[in-house]
Amino acid sequence: MTSTRPVPYKLAISENDVQALKSKLAATRFPDELEGVQWDYGVPLADMKRLVRYWQDGYDWRRHETHINETFPQFTIDIKVDGFGVLNIHHVHQRSKSEHAIPLLFSHGWPGHFMEAAKIIPLLINPPSGAPAFHVVAWSLPGFGFSDAPKKAGFNMAKMAEAGHKLMLALDYSEYVVQGGDWGSSISRQVARLYGGKHCKAVHVNMLSMAPIEPSKNPLLWLQHISTPFSEEEKRMVARTNMFRDKGLGYFHEQSSQPQTLSYGLADSPVGLLAWIYEKLHNWTDNYPFTDDEILDWISVYWFSKAGPGASLRIYYENLRTNPLENGRHEPIYSVPIGFSIFPQELVYVSKANRLLVGNLVYESSHSAGGHFAAFERPEDLVGDLREFHGIGGKAYGVVKGLTGYADD
Amino acid sequence: MATSNTDQAFKISVSESQIHELKVKLDLIRFPDELEDAGWAYGSPLKDVQRLVAYWKSGYSWREHEKHINDTLPQFTKDISVDGFGTLNIHFVHQKSSVQNAIPLLFVHGWPGSFLEVTKILPLLTAASKQYPSFHVVALSLPGYGFSEAPKQKGFGLFQYAEVCNKLMIELGYTEYVAQGGDWGYYITRALGHKFSKNCRAVHSNMPRGSPPKFIHNQVLFLQHALVPYSEAEKAGFARSAWFLGPGFGYRQQQSTQPQTLGYSLSDSPAGLLAWIYEKLRNWTDDYRWTDDEILTWVSIYWFSRAGPAATTRIYYEVETAKERDIITKPINNIPLGFSYFPRELVVTPRSWARTLGNVVFESTHASGGHFAAHEKPTILVDDIRQMFGKGGPANHVIPHKSGFDHGLKAKL
Repeated sequence: MTSTRPVPYKLAISENDVQALKSKLAATRFPDELEGVQWDYGVPLADMKRLVRYWQDGYDWRRHETHINETFPQFTIDIKVDGFGVLNIHHVHQRSKSEHAIPLLFSHGWPGHFMEAAKIIPLLINPPSGAPAFHVVAWSLPGFGFSDAPKKAGFNMAKMAEAGHKLMLALDYSEYVVQGGDWGSSISRQVARLYGGKHCKAVHVNMLSMAPIEPSKNPLLWLQHISTPFSEEEKRMVARTNMFRDKGLGYFHEQSSQPQTLSYGLADSPVGLLAWIYEKLHNWTDNYPFTDDEILDWISVYWFSKAGPGASLRIYYENLRTNPLENGRHEPIYSVPIGFSIFPQELVYVSKANRLLVGNLVYESSHSAGGHFAAFERPEDLVGDLREFHGIGGKAYGVVKGLTGYADD
Repeated sequence: MATSNTDQAFKISVSESQIHELKVKLDLIRFPDELEDAGWAYGSPLKDVQRLVAYWKSGYSWREHEKHINDTLPQFTKDISVDGFGTLNIHFVHQKSSVQNAIPLLFVHGWPGSFLEVTKILPLLTAASKQYPSFHVVALSLPGYGFSEAPKQKGFGLFQYAEVCNKLMIELGYTEYVAQGGDWGYYITRALGHKFSKNCRAVHSNMPRGSPPKFIHNQVLFLQHALVPYSEAEKAGFARSAWFLGPGFGYRQQQSTQPQTLGYSLSDSPAGLLAWIYEKLRNWTDDYRWTDDEILTWVSIYWFSRAGPAATTRIYYEVETAKERDIITKPINNIPLGFSYFPRELVVTPRSWARTLGNVVFESTHASGGHFAAHEKPTILVDDIRQMFGKGGPANHVIPHKSGFDHGLKAKL
């Protein structure tokens, strides 16, 4: 049944599905492992055995499900995406008490999900005096969480942006700002590219994906890039980038080329899915001390997702098999102010020179801790940056007509 | 466990509990979704995997295939010690020819292959004839594959695999032998040629590699390469190589960097393992018409393997980390090398490239066939091997007293 108005939603995974997961966990067949390798070859066996045992015997999905349902108002709504029919989109929509709050769309990435926003939502909607307030929409991207997945090939970045933009319009936010990391960063920038100025009024990201500077296209910038020495901190981040490129891209290549082949193991094997995602939670964060509950809460969203974990992989294929220039993926954006928070354990470091190709990058903020999942690892830092960017005196202050984030005096 | 220098006769006998475990898992399978009209563009198609899973669940009989393998391939195990890695129990096929002077030949498989790849070429290689040479054939399960033990420590690279191969042949009484291989078998036989050429006296491969000739090393080849335009076949080869090194490379990136992470789903999900391997069986072959029985038997070897499927992927990590592909590219000049070129191999390069690999005495180009040459084109591959080592062949008599023919062999007509 289609609905063009948001319909209240509560997570309610069937008891059948919960029990089916337990049955599979009980039947887990583990691989062997080489002696003393720790994380060198991938996720350690001891970690997997511990988590599988707990997932089967002690972990309580209903606790997490209830917590989400009681804390975050969720909805579903039908969004028509050109060429792809109607997709039912799941989202958290939590409004501030302040009527003048800034509407903000938070976009997650892979292997993220809508609850990456869990810690920043209460801070954004309820700021201390002097800081702006936000209404927050944290959606499940098409193919993720509890949203529909597209059924045809070609659902690329432009389509993701279209879906996100239309979601905001459907929620009566004709003007809004966007925030994201990972694919959420690319989606946010694409929203700005396609709908910036008129609808999308500002972009904030905690990750940047940039084309390398080409000497033939930008000779002066290239010279600047190669002649500016890196600071110690930058050198560390470059080293991390190189390590990620050399050792961390297996998933990226497979998901960009044969996502279906990979999806069978991830859909069928809880430990397979757990390992695949947990490796990123471990490697991509800045020593975030995940509890077993946090890990399993996270992976359970993938396990129980509406379209299944395999659907989430296709975002890589749809965007990396098509010509990035067609999506305008690397073209600079000048229509709106752009803000960028730099966390030291992010996966890819973008040099100062390269950042000049982002476009209207008017706000940057560097931090001493935090990694790829900034909203989850460093919520106060990320929210602090958003408040600076959007607050009084900030470069994106007042971009949304009539909604400055502050109550009128 | 006491090491044993004698062969233990071996029959595959997967336990009832393992078979039951597989059935339980097949009953609990949860399939992913798939895009409309995806075909093969995104990977192994859902309807194929579902069909194979349904057959694996009820219809396919592992016991029947197990028996057939045991009846057809004489198998043994033997403890082989490897410097720094202790003793590994190695599973292998060993069939002697009736020809006393047959040439000892070691067949080395790769991933996702197995000792089973020798099945079709075995009767051809061991056949006796006045026209072509005969071979005593040994086909091992590489450590970590099939029914061989896996190494327990890290660092087990190409030269360790080669050490196992070489010691196995010597302990079987073949102080001198020739080697044949594709996929990892190519790399391992290169290592044999580099380190154990006293014993491994010639190498034939159906997966030629090599790099473009550099002027500084190969002036003549360089000029040939630079001046002679590429043929249509060579251009097609480049397209194929570009596919493999681009969209076809994901599995290798993953297995070379985080094999353990991948190993959990390969070990735990029969559908996951099946899809992972089946995709290669289809993409890497030249329109080979796999039967469902063939596919499931190949995959079952991985599912029921002694060390489990995860162990099979570590060779990628070890070789990548130690950069051993570069090491074995250095030319081997002291023993004869032979190459068979099949158009649907994964990397198809001009002939001049493989000639940089050393003393190439035999080349043969074919109009069809892919990566699993011994399985797809057994008679063609065996023809090539016979030509290389037979009467008038460039590697004829490479092992003294092992010509492949018995003197005074009575003609059997």
